[in-house]
Amino acid sequence: MLRAVSLAFVFVAAITTATAGEIFSRDADHDYDAPTPGSYRLPVIKVAPDGAVLDSNGKGERLRDVFRGRVTVLSFIYTRCAAPKACPYATGVLSQLHRASLEDTELAKNLRLVSLSFDPEYDTPQRLATYAEGVNGESAGCEWRFATTKSHGELDSILKGYDQAVDRRSNPNDPQGPLYHILRVFLIDREGRIRNIYSSGTLDPRLVIADVKTLLLETTKLSKQ
Amino acid sequence: MKRSLVSLLAVCAFAFSVGLLRADETCSSPYLARIDGQEEFVYVWTLGVEGLGDGNDKLVTIDVKPGSPNYGKVVSTTSVDGRNEAHHAGFTDDRHQLWLAGLDTSRIFIFDVYSDPAKPKFVKTIDKFAETTGGAMGPHGAYPLPGRMLIPCLSNAKDKGGKTALVEYSNDGNYIATHWLPTKDDAGGAANADLADGYGYDARVLPRKNALLTSSFTGWNNYMRNLGELMGDSEAMKHFGSTMVMWDFHTRQPKKIFQVPGAPLEIRWAWDPKHNYAFTASALTSKLWLVYADDKGEWQAKDVAPIGEAKGGVLPVDISLSADDKTLFVASFLDGKCRVFDVSDAQEPKQIYEKQIGKQVNMVSQSWDGKRLYLTSSLLAKWDKAGADNEQFLRAYAWDGKELKPQFDLDFTALKLGRAHQMLFGSSKLGPNRAVASN
Repeated sequence: MLRAVSLAFVFVAAITTATAGEIFSRDADHDYDAPTPGSYRLPVIKVAPDGAVLDSNGKGERLRDVFRGRVTVLSFIYTRCAAPKACPYATGVLSQLHRASLEDTELAKNLRLVSLSFDPEYDTPQRLATYAEGVNGESAGCEWRFATTKSHGELDSILKGYDQAVDRRSNPNDPQGPLYHILRVFLIDREGRIRNIYSSGTLDPRLVIADVKTLLLETTKLSKQ
Repeated sequence: MKRSLVSLLAVCAFAFSVGLLRADETCSSPYLARIDGQEEFVYVWTLGVEGLGDGNDKLVTIDVKPGSPNYGKVVSTTSVDGRNEAHHAGFTDDRHQLWLAGLDTSRIFIFDVYSDPAKPKFVKTIDKFAETTGGAMGPHGAYPLPGRMLIPCLSNAKDKGGKTALVEYSNDGNYIATHWLPTKDDAGGAANADLADGYGYDARVLPRKNALLTSSFTGWNNYMRNLGELMGDSEAMKHFGSTMVMWDFHTRQPKKIFQVPGAPLEIRWAWDPKHNYAFTASALTSKLWLVYADDKGEWQAKDVAPIGEAKGGVLPVDISLSADDKTLFVASFLDGKCRVFDVSDAQEPKQIYEKQIGKQVNMVSQSWDGKRLYLTSSLLAKWDKAGADNEQFLRAYAWDGKELKPQFDLDFTALKLGRAHQMLFGSSKLGPNRAVASN
């Protein structure tokens, strides 16, 4: 199990060391140009489900309050995950978004990242605080919150609301980690509505930033009307 | 750093993929969770036939587990309400649900295939499709995207012709958006706007190129009409799609329209990460087409091979590309044959084999390892042949690289099931204690 956790950190650490220039580069897995923000629509998928969570200090809060006021990128993770295209990849992309916000005041002021664990037994607030320090040592840039739940009772209704599939692997010592899940990352607007859902095939930081800025432009247009 | 990171991720992803991608249909969406191991069940979305059994459309489940006492037998059937012109279907990305589309009634039936893959359970119906989507009708199938389903349609409620749309619903069945296919009057900024016909059929994504490709068929007025009558109506025969459209997948904006005469139907993107191309077959002109990125990265389309002798009546309807991109199976309705092409050189396919499957054949599905193929018989209720030629079956074959060898044969008429249409693979290995993930 220690090996799995170590591998997860290796992936995240490797991704987080990428420079801003590298974040926006085109590569073989993402061989296209990102769209111009505001040149397309992001239809409302549904209201982002609410639920009770604990922040990394152990303080209780509601998701609807967490989402208020900023565009949110919500990633479901568990810190023991070592599957390369799952949590380490998602957290790496969030880290890239955070690094981008260090050089972009619009993102710094208006973007919020949330990593929400679906492994409450292991991912206690204390462990999440340690994990947060490992993947995000910066105090500047956009908000990046880490959250867990008090119990499976609270977690299950959140997972159901977000249609986030999670199962236990038959081998709890699987080097990939003890849980199976579909990688899902959600884009949530300032009104608390889901506007996009990403997976490993679409979770490209350039697309996410274009989407975030599209939502910010939408808000600007509305405020001018 | 970036290169070393990409290399590390690629190595790990490859190592991981070797473990998971062992057997699954090669025609599925790249966003779909994979079966871990060999398929255990084949689901057949079956058209009801008046006077045969209960007469309703139904989801038929066949056990294909090697060594099972029920191998090659029907282990469950669940009927839906009435006859809806059952056509294509698709899983949600987590493979928990199977969505079954009806071309006539525009209803979509959602089944839970996760709780017990041997006995899919009906969950709910999406009704009022045209009203909800702003006039799209004739949902052709359901293609999984992250957290949502992309539903390419064939027709519209206004004139029931071929102008149509792509529609999106969330996995929990809520309407999200409608994207109309480009027309001459409203091409959405796409190149070659003068070619645009607004028709639709299949829709498939190549994620690493952010490419969504669509093809085109015909509207309700034609696909719900007797085929013999239709083919004798020269005016009606003008109303078939002759285009494919390349879209920016992320923005859902059409970028380029290609002229592909004769109703290009199923689209199969190559799987190799360096293969930037997709195949399709034009039904009415009986040709294989290739849509590919040229040396400058521009998308182009060209016909690359004939499929049989078009004058003899071939009507290629479904194609299945092997996971190594080397072999393409083509099922042709009118002559009932499955042809096999060597497509190692995608620009110059060569036919290497053909087999008479039946009096008529429609869909072909292939396991990920390329060793098993399944074929069904029904195209459309009013296009299927009559009398003794109206064979309705699921036939399973083993492929050894040289020939198709029969494994089992289910007569859907004798079993009082109906017209066998699309097949999808299921497995208990997606159950609560097994993998369902793309991770």
